[in-house]
Amino acid sequence: MNTKTLDISAPHPAENKTLSLPVHIYLLVMRSLTSLLRTPEALLPPVAISIFFLVIYQSTLGKAASFIPGIGGSYLGFILPLSIVSGSLSGSGIAAQNLVRDIERGYFDKLLLTPVRRAALLLAPILAGAVILGIQAAIVVIVGLILGLKPATGFLGLLAVIGLGVLLGVGFAGFTVSAALGSGSAAATQGASFLFFPLTFLAPTFVPLALLSGWLEVAAKLNPITYVLEAMRTLLNTGWDANAIGTSILACLALAVAMYVLAAFALSVRTRRT
Amino acid sequence: MKDREIIVENLVKSYPSKVKAVDGINFRVDEGKIFGFLGPNGAGKSTTIKILTTLAFPSSGHATVGGFDVVSQATEVRRVAGVALQDVGIDPLMKSMELLVLQGRLFGASKSAATARAKELLELVQLSDSVNRRAGTFSGGMRRRLDLAMALVHQPKVLFLDEPTTGLDPVSRRDVWREVRRLNRELGITIFLTTQYLEEADELADTVAIIVAGKIAAEGSPAKLKAAMGEESINLVFDTPELAEKGRSTLEQTGDRVQLDRETVRLYLSKAAGSIPTVVNQLQNAGLAPVSLTLTQPTLDDVFLQVTGQRLVAADAAQSKSSRSNRRVEVN
Repeated sequence: MNTKTLDISAPHPAENKTLSLPVHIYLLVMRSLTSLLRTPEALLPPVAISIFFLVIYQSTLGKAASFIPGIGGSYLGFILPLSIVSGSLSGSGIAAQNLVRDIERGYFDKLLLTPVRRAALLLAPILAGAVILGIQAAIVVIVGLILGLKPATGFLGLLAVIGLGVLLGVGFAGFTVSAALGSGSAAATQGASFLFFPLTFLAPTFVPLALLSGWLEVAAKLNPITYVLEAMRTLLNTGWDANAIGTSILACLALAVAMYVLAAFALSVRTRRT
Repeated sequence: MKDREIIVENLVKSYPSKVKAVDGINFRVDEGKIFGFLGPNGAGKSTTIKILTTLAFPSSGHATVGGFDVVSQATEVRRVAGVALQDVGIDPLMKSMELLVLQGRLFGASKSAATARAKELLELVQLSDSVNRRAGTFSGGMRRRLDLAMALVHQPKVLFLDEPTTGLDPVSRRDVWREVRRLNRELGITIFLTTQYLEEADELADTVAIIVAGKIAAEGSPAKLKAAMGEESINLVFDTPELAEKGRSTLEQTGDRVQLDRETVRLYLSKAAGSIPTVVNQLQNAGLAPVSLTLTQPTLDDVFLQVTGQRLVAADAAQSKSSRSNRRVEVN
């Protein structure tokens, strides 16, 4: 080691100053994104799977879809939302994986040793995950356009579709993040993100809601994914429908609030310092 | 209120399993001192450091770091304390510069101030050549140094080092020792370090506390602890254990106490060097000729053996002192 001397009498760089919550969130989001983008191999599979299903559904069912009443436009516009929603679900694990990695490597403790605001520790990985989700959804939409998608609401409608996909993913991320904080284990977190997979099918996944009946109809009506799918489909196939969009946003918010109460609880348990 | 002190009073940490990891410890680290917390694995060292650095709550008792209470003034404690935990906590995907700048900014520094500080610290820990390398590509020693730099970002007044040299090679260990001493002497930083290595505590610490099963078994300066052991010893090695036994009985009345360990006889007495002629004479009169005769100062190892009844088994082969004897020692 050399003998360079630090001047301890120099003004303390952090004298009694704690940056505001937005600045902490910004700093940690940028750090999460930097870290995430350096492992593209973790980000590509969810997009690849979404695109794969989109192409498969379109090729196998696209021509038969004229038999299904109530699609109200192109089959591509009907099935692309499913592709985005399943991407949101698999992508909702990104935030949590990022967090659980920090916990396992002890970097989370390192952050806890700074005066960082605790809410930033929760929100930053989720917001970074949301950015990734948005990029993934945009890629799926671009593939849709290449396949011949003609959105009824134009460019703004496509942005709204992406926005809804992100919102839904952020809600589910609250759950996977809770699992990450609660378990501190990558395997458990991975498992938690698979729990949502069946939810995709308790919804008007392949046929419109009006064609569902019995217990499946009940399940679909309780499932927030239903409203997101419906809203996206109207955006792509019929036009602006304030009612459908409003309902889907409410469904996403209800999901998000429930999940974030859970996540905040998990964070308080992890940082309870027992 | 002194801003570089650590005061610990009746600190207890019990877990739901009813295990008391820390069981009513008391100590005080004065400003600008190096305090060595010595103990085997699982003795309560890491738990104590976690409480003092606000990562864990005590079950009862009280502790202040830099005059701030570790429970009610956690944010203030985080500002005065720098911490390098045993498991180096860095994101391997991030570059050393990025990690240091982020750390500085979370402590409230502006981007330019954090960058300047990061450069200074990387130079200090000799990582200036690796600014743009991901931390994941670093060797163990480099990661430790980066971790130490991260602990120093906010110019802490008290530095906590949890087993800073465990797993390092002897050369890196010496580097860390030199750095710890320098931080202490030049910057006046109070240093609390835990270690499994007696040699390390002896080398660095002004005060040493030995913790065993959650309780402090002995405390004092290394010199004082060794002095309390009493004495130096004359070590005599004989050809056979039988001859050694004869040596032991011959010298029984000469020292304060005599230990027999196979072929070796250890004679403890206050002025060992001056007693050599007497010892040699007595052995000659008894017709005994030792193979070798050496003089030993008491070590912390001896202190440890005395207070705990066991040797500190170091995980490191370089610890010649503790490998000296895992054999049964018969105390006379």
